[in-house]
Amino acid sequence: MVKPVVRIDDLRLEFLSQAGAFEALKGISLEIGEGEIVGVVGESGSGKSVTAMNLLQLLPRTKINVPTGTISVLDHDVRAMEEKQLQHIRGGEVSMIFQEPMTALNPVLRVKDQIDDVILRHKDVTPEEAEEMSLKLLADTKITDPRRVYESFPHELSGGMRQRVMIAMAFSCSPKLIVADEPTTALDVTVQAQILSLLKERAQKTGTSVLLITHDLAVVAQLCDRVYVMYKGEFVEEGTTKDVIGNPQHVYTRALLNSLPEGKPPKSRLATVAAAMLEGGSENVIDEPIEQVTRVARTGDTILQIQNAVVRYPKEYNLFGRPITFHTAVDHVTVEIKEGETLALVGESGCGKTSLANAVVGLNTLADGAILYRGKNILDHDPDTKREIQIVFQDPQSSLDPRWPVWKIMTEPLTVGQSPSKAELRDKAASLCEMVGLEPSQIDRLPHEFSGGQRQRIAVGRALSVRPKLLVLDEPTSALDVSVQAQILNLLLDLQDQHGLTYLFISHDVAVVRHIADKVAVMYQSKVVESGESEQVLTAPTHDYTRTLMNAVPSLKRAFAA
Amino acid sequence: MSSTAETAPSENQPGGTLESLMGPMVPVMHQLTRLVVLLFMVTTLLFFMLRLAGDPALVLAGNDATPEQLEAIRAQYGLDKPLFIQYLNYMGNLLQGDFGKSLASGEPAMGKVLTMLPATLLIAGLAMAFSIIVAIPLGAWLGFKPERADRRGVSGIIFVFQGVPGFVTALIFIQIFAVNLRWLPSLGMEWGTIMEWAITESLSIPIPVPSKTWILPAASLAWFLMPSLTRVVAANTAEAMREDYIRTARAGGAPASALLWRHALPNALLGAAALIGTQFAFLMGGAVITETIFAWPGIGWLLIESTQTLDFPVVQSLALCIATLVFTVNALTDLSFQFLDPRLRTKGN
Repeated sequence: MVKPVVRIDDLRLEFLSQAGAFEALKGISLEIGEGEIVGVVGESGSGKSVTAMNLLQLLPRTKINVPTGTISVLDHDVRAMEEKQLQHIRGGEVSMIFQEPMTALNPVLRVKDQIDDVILRHKDVTPEEAEEMSLKLLADTKITDPRRVYESFPHELSGGMRQRVMIAMAFSCSPKLIVADEPTTALDVTVQAQILSLLKERAQKTGTSVLLITHDLAVVAQLCDRVYVMYKGEFVEEGTTKDVIGNPQHVYTRALLNSLPEGKPPKSRLATVAAAMLEGGSENVIDEPIEQVTRVARTGDTILQIQNAVVRYPKEYNLFGRPITFHTAVDHVTVEIKEGETLALVGESGCGKTSLANAVVGLNTLADGAILYRGKNILDHDPDTKREIQIVFQDPQSSLDPRWPVWKIMTEPLTVGQSPSKAELRDKAASLCEMVGLEPSQIDRLPHEFSGGQRQRIAVGRALSVRPKLLVLDEPTSALDVSVQAQILNLLLDLQDQHGLTYLFISHDVAVVRHIADKVAVMYQSKVVESGESEQVLTAPTHDYTRTLMNAVPSLKRAFAA
Repeated sequence: MSSTAETAPSENQPGGTLESLMGPMVPVMHQLTRLVVLLFMVTTLLFFMLRLAGDPALVLAGNDATPEQLEAIRAQYGLDKPLFIQYLNYMGNLLQGDFGKSLASGEPAMGKVLTMLPATLLIAGLAMAFSIIVAIPLGAWLGFKPERADRRGVSGIIFVFQGVPGFVTALIFIQIFAVNLRWLPSLGMEWGTIMEWAITESLSIPIPVPSKTWILPAASLAWFLMPSLTRVVAANTAEAMREDYIRTARAGGAPASALLWRHALPNALLGAAALIGTQFAFLMGGAVITETIFAWPGIGWLLIESTQTLDFPVVQSLALCIATLVFTVNALTDLSFQFLDPRLRTKGN
C-alpha cells in the first residue's frame, strides 16, 4: 500500500464571526495518492476553496475553529505545526496555483524576483543558480522566450503567460503536491486548454500529485483520476472520474450534470440543482424526464442590421488632448438578426464582442458603418423606439445599485422622460418580478439580499420593464454557477417564447451558445470570421479559428471518448 | 527639411508627424502648459482680489497724506487709469520679468521673495523628511495587523494628534523644550555651520552641522503632515495585505517580514506618494503659522507681513512663487509614481 500524500480525516471547520459560527466544512475525509490527480468539484460556497486553503493552514487561525479532524500532508500533522515549520512546507513540498493570474502576482515585482524568492527560500543555492533554475522552469512551461518573461513585470504578460509563470513557480522546488484552485477559470478557453494540458504533462513528468479545485465538471473529466463532489461543506460523492461522471449516484451530482447544456437538445429546459435539492433530495426527482418543450422559432423580418461597424478607442493623445492613435475594437463587422431569433456573438476576451454590444445600445459610437433598427439608423429613431432595445450586463454583483430597492432598480427605465407615480411603479415591479420568477413581495429588498442568479433575474426584469423587442445579453450567465446558469437560460428561453423577443447573445461559452442560439457569429481579433446557422457553424466549422475554439472547449463527451 | 528625408520611405508613415516626433516631450509640454495656465489664473484672480482689499495709493502715501498727494501718487504709479488697463499693464510687466517693487521698501518684489525662500524650503524639506521617516514604518506596523489591541491604541493616539491644530502643538513644544527644559531656542533662525573633517593632511570633507534653531519649527511643521500620512500608509498596507498576491507569497512560504516589507509596503506607498504631493500645499499653509510663531524669516512670515501692510507686488510675487512650488512638487509626485509603479512606466516604443 502506497502511503498517501495527503490524508484528511473527518475535518470540521467553522468560521467565527460576530454573527456566530458558520460551519464551512462538515466532516470531510479525503486522500490523495502519490502521482494522483484528484479533483474537488462544487459550486461557489460549497467549501472547496476552504478545503484547499486549509491544507496549508493559510486561513487566519484566529478566525476559524476546527472542532474535529486531522490533516496529514506528507506525514506532517499540519494542524500541530508552527508557522515557521509551515513556511518550510509552503512553496517547498507543497505549492499552490491560484485562480486569478491578474492579481495573484505582485504588480510591483518582476517575475524574476517572484520566482527566485521561492527558490532561494527553500533551496541552498546562489542567486545565479536560482536564476538559471527559473529560466529552465519557464522554458519547461513552454514559454518560448523565457528571458523576456523572466525580466518582465506581471502587467506586461497576458493572462495565459501569467498562469504559466504561476505554474513555473509552483514546480520550482520539486513539490510532492500541487494544490490548484480554479487555475483556468479566469482564462479564455483556448488558453485554458493549453494550461490544463501543461499542468497534466508537468505533473506526470515529475510524479507530482495534484489537488484540483474547480466548478467545471468538464475540466475534471479531462484531467482527474478521481473526483470528490462537494455540496454545502460535504463530499456527497467520490470515486474515479469515469464512475462519478458516467454513472452518478448522488442526486446532487446528477442535477449538476443535467444542468450542463452540453449534450442536451438545443432550447430544451435544463434541470436545475435548486429544483432537485428542494424535493428533499429524493432519488426519483432526477429520473423524471425533464419537461420537454418544443420551441418553434417564429422568425419575422430583419430587425437589426449591423453594417460595416467600426468601433475605435483612443490610445494616445497629443498636447491638446486630441487622440492621435486608436485601437480598433470592432473592425468592419456586418451581421443581421431577424425578429424572434437569437444571434450569438461568440469569441474570447478582447475580441470586440462587448464593444459591439455596447454600440448596439448606444453606449459606444461607431467610427464608421451603421446600425439599422427596422431599416432605420438607430441614432435617428425617436426615444420610444430606442427603448425597444435593452441590455443585460454580465456581472449582477456590480450592475445593480447596491442602495436601491428592487422595485426602484427594475422600474428605473420607466422614469426616463416620464414620471409615473410610485404606486404605479411598484405595481409594475411586482408584475415584472412574477415575469422573471421572483417573489413580488420582495420588491422592497436590496440587491445584496439576493443570490447571484436572483440578481440576474432582477437585471433581466429591469431590461423588460419598457417592453423591449430586442435584448442585448452580454455574457448574462458567465458570472454564475452552472446550476444557476441553467435557471437563467431556462428563463430567457421562456421569455422569448412568451413575448417573441429577439436576442443578441454575447458569450465565450460554446456549449451555452449551442443551446440557446439560432445563428452564430464567431468573432476573432475584432472581426467576424465565420457566421451562419448555429448547428452548422458549431458542428462543421470552416474557419481555422472556429475549429481551434471548438477543440479547446472542455467537453465531457470528448474526455470519455479519448 | 532636407531633400533626403523627403525621399525616405518613413516619411509617409504616421511616425513622421510633428506629434510623434515630440513623443517623449509631450508629458513635459503638457505639464508646462498647465503651469502657465495656472499661473495666469492665480495672478489674475489675486490682482482683482487685492484691489478689493485696499487702495495701494493709501499705502504708498501713508495715513497723513493730503488728497493732492494721493492724486500725485496715483498718477505716478498709473493708479488713476481704469482697473482693466492697470491689469494689462501689470501683466505686460510680468511677461517682461518685471514683478514690481515692494511698496514698503522699494526693493524688487520677487528678489525679496527669493531671498527668503531658502529658509522656508529648509524647514519644509526637514518637516517632510521627518514625517516620511516616521510615517512609513509606523504606518506599515499599524497596517500589518490593524485588528490587534496595541495597534488600535496607537491609531487612536494618532487620530487625536491629527485633531490638534499645528499652532497649539508649536506652543506646547516651545513651553516644554524652550521654556521648561531650556534645550532648544524658541525664536529666530541660524544657518548651520560647516565643519571641516580632515581625513588626511591635504583632504578634508566639509560636513554641514545643523543648527539647533531648526528643530522646533521643523517638528511643529511635520505635525501637519505626519498623522494623515501615517494613517494613509496604514490603511493602504492593510488593504495590500488582503490582496491575492499576499496569499500567493504566503503559499510560497514567505515569512511575515517578507510579506510586509517586500510585498505589501511597496504597493501601499503608491497611495502615500499621491498624498505627499497634495499635502505640500497644506504644508505651505502650515509654514505661514509656524514661521510666525517661531519668527522664522521665510516666505510664510513674509506673506503675513506683506499682507498686513498691503504690499501688493510682494504678495503677488509670493503667490506666483508658492503656486509654482506646489505645482512642481505635484508634478514630481506624478513622476515618482512612474518610478514606484511599473504599470505606469511607458515602454520605449
